[in-house]
Amino acid sequence: MARIEVQGVAKQYAEGEGGLALDGIDLAIQDNEFVTLVGRSGCGKTTLLNVIAGLVAPSAGEVRVDGRPVTGPGGGKGMVFQQHALFPWLTALGNIEFGCKSRGVPAGERRAIAAQLIELVGLRGSEAKYPIELSGGMQQRVAIARALALDPEILLMDEPFGALDELTRIEMQDELLRVWSSRKKTVVFVTHSIWEALVLSDRVVVLGGRPGRIRLDLPIDVARPRERTDPRLTGLYGEIWAYLS
Amino acid sequence: MARSGPTSPDRGAARRPPGWLGPGVLAAAVVAWEGAARAGWLVPFYFPAPSRLADTLRELLVVGFPQGVGMGTHIGVTLGRIAQGYALAIALAIPAGLLIGWVPALDRLALPVVTFCRSVATLSLLPLAIAWFGVGELSKVLLIAYACFWVVLANVVAGVKYVDPLLVRAARSLDTGPAGIFLRVALPAALPRAFAGMRVALGVGFMTIVGVEMVGTIQGLGALILEARTFFRSDVTLVGMAVIGLCGLALSTLLERLERLLLPWHRGLESVRR
Repeated sequence: MARIEVQGVAKQYAEGEGGLALDGIDLAIQDNEFVTLVGRSGCGKTTLLNVIAGLVAPSAGEVRVDGRPVTGPGGGKGMVFQQHALFPWLTALGNIEFGCKSRGVPAGERRAIAAQLIELVGLRGSEAKYPIELSGGMQQRVAIARALALDPEILLMDEPFGALDELTRIEMQDELLRVWSSRKKTVVFVTHSIWEALVLSDRVVVLGGRPGRIRLDLPIDVARPRERTDPRLTGLYGEIWAYLS
Repeated sequence: MARSGPTSPDRGAARRPPGWLGPGVLAAAVVAWEGAARAGWLVPFYFPAPSRLADTLRELLVVGFPQGVGMGTHIGVTLGRIAQGYALAIALAIPAGLLIGWVPALDRLALPVVTFCRSVATLSLLPLAIAWFGVGELSKVLLIAYACFWVVLANVVAGVKYVDPLLVRAARSLDTGPAGIFLRVALPAALPRAFAGMRVALGVGFMTIVGVEMVGTIQGLGALILEARTFFRSDVTLVGMAVIGLCGLALSTLLERLERLLLPWHRGLESVRR
């Protein structure tokens, strides 16, 4: 059984044909798979991610995680947002511990979890800083650690590196792959960068049209670590581009 | 960061006026005023010279005005009234604001009431307050509380209502229930606005005090100013005004310090300009 099953999902935001954001989405995502949703702005990729997250209810169809219908956010589904969405009044450490506090994890255990994650995402020395004192890349590291603190089976990422400059972005992609390989998670990653999708994922799902439908579901059979200049990736780039334009 | 090096010398810093400019302009104005008064260009009753005002201040401190009621008493009584009314307003407005901001139905209900009550000038309620609560302290404190309450309330409501929905979604994705979101997201998110409201309300309290003290008391800075009018002492009026202004300035500065201490994460533009 797939980890995540999306079946016949549609989302209508407003009356009429123009209000239909997504239609007839079927998607099965396996355990530990890294799947990227790619598409133009407004193609419904973020909507689909929010439906999987349980933040947005579908107008039709259903999303199941481990066979159980999704009824709300949380519960083993961690999220990372485009704008870091960190709580500005909490330090990096406070942000990372937020979910554990919600779940009532005892303080000692919470500290231990946070300390591990701070090491993992490379935040040592910045624990006591407020989000406003951190660079964009560091903020997203905190956001990733915060999402991982509840040890979710699924990590949903909505253009997490979209606001970063090119160099930081590449650095963060490598970091994410490192984190992902050390803590196996099922990842659904939204981006509009084809390169980002090619470097990161096992499978690239291209969404397009209005309402958004799946145009292409492309496995990336290139072993990791991937060279960004690999000619096979360049070939796949062309294939994806053809479906986007 | 090194990458922003060449452009980073803050052009804002060059445009920022030097620290002595404010006090300097003020000192120059006082000197010009004194000069104009001595030259006989100003009518002393309308514009008493600064040196005359200094004498008046000494008189107010030593002899008192009316005789026996010293400046210390005036200041103490006024600050006491403001403190009580202000504290009462905050104690009521913060919980009420949190609740109204959190429950949309309450907000819809409260919005016209808040706007209506804010529009009613506090001093127009003075006769009614006297009829209900007498000419004593209670009327004065309650009127100050009334004036401050709506300002704080409106700001706390807005603070809760306009919490970044992204933060709420983030909290929900971290297994946080409604109570947790209220206490750990909405409440801290509303604090900067609550503080802004409290700062404005303090000013409103000081604006209200003069009017409130016009009735049934000879103590307090407002009473001092009114009494001075009766005796054609424009110099006393001016000194009273200055003292009110200085008290307001001092307390507002104190409140700002407190805010910086309590909300170190909220620095807004300041951190960019540094």
